[in-house]
Amino acid sequence: MGKVALIISSEKLDKIYPGVILATTAASMGWEAEVFFTFWGLLALKKGYEPAEVSHDYSKYGEAVAEAVRSGQIPEWKSLVRKGKESGKLKIYACSTTMGLLKISREDLEDFVDGVLGAASFLTRAKDADITLFIS
Amino acid sequence: MEEITVDARYKFCPGPLLMLIEAIKELSLKGSKGVKIRLLATDPAAVEDVKSWAEATGHKFLGYKKKGEEYEIYLEIT
Repeated sequence: MGKVALIISSEKLDKIYPGVILATTAASMGWEAEVFFTFWGLLALKKGYEPAEVSHDYSKYGEAVAEAVRSGQIPEWKSLVRKGKESGKLKIYACSTTMGLLKISREDLEDFVDGVLGAASFLTRAKDADITLFIS
Repeated sequence: MEEITVDARYKFCPGPLLMLIEAIKELSLKGSKGVKIRLLATDPAAVEDVKSWAEATGHKFLGYKKKGEEYEIYLEIT
């Protein structure tokens, strides 16, 4: 079986979706998927916060993405995460440094977050991954 | 042999695959070995995605038919 390790450092939908789609699909294939949300990516894990924008350079496509979600052509990204987690293979981690910088506490995070990690802990989990991507 | 249809037309990746997995999960509760699934999709990537997923999970990819813009993808649960 394979293993994928992703670092997501943006909360724009055009960054969140590719990462989450790859991780959830990997988990559905029986792969392990470790996803580390850092810097602005961490904002996406905050309870009550809904990322709604695409990257500014592509803002003219924002409505097309929103419409695809509204019409069900693509699932809402948090439901993709929850589906991926049903297999037990998908793990979602929050970056401890960013939590300190942005004054976010463990209780502020979504229930699907598996833990808060520092760099060494994530590197240890990612060390034997077959695919490693930094999405920013 | 039982055959069920899953309609995932107009869903983008990974919708068709996730709907297929959901259907198999529901069937599995009732003992579904040998059941054939006909997955309808308009996403052209769905054929290769289902094939790769079947190889990874041990289900049997039986091929597909293209009808206009639509794909009928066949899979047997093993």
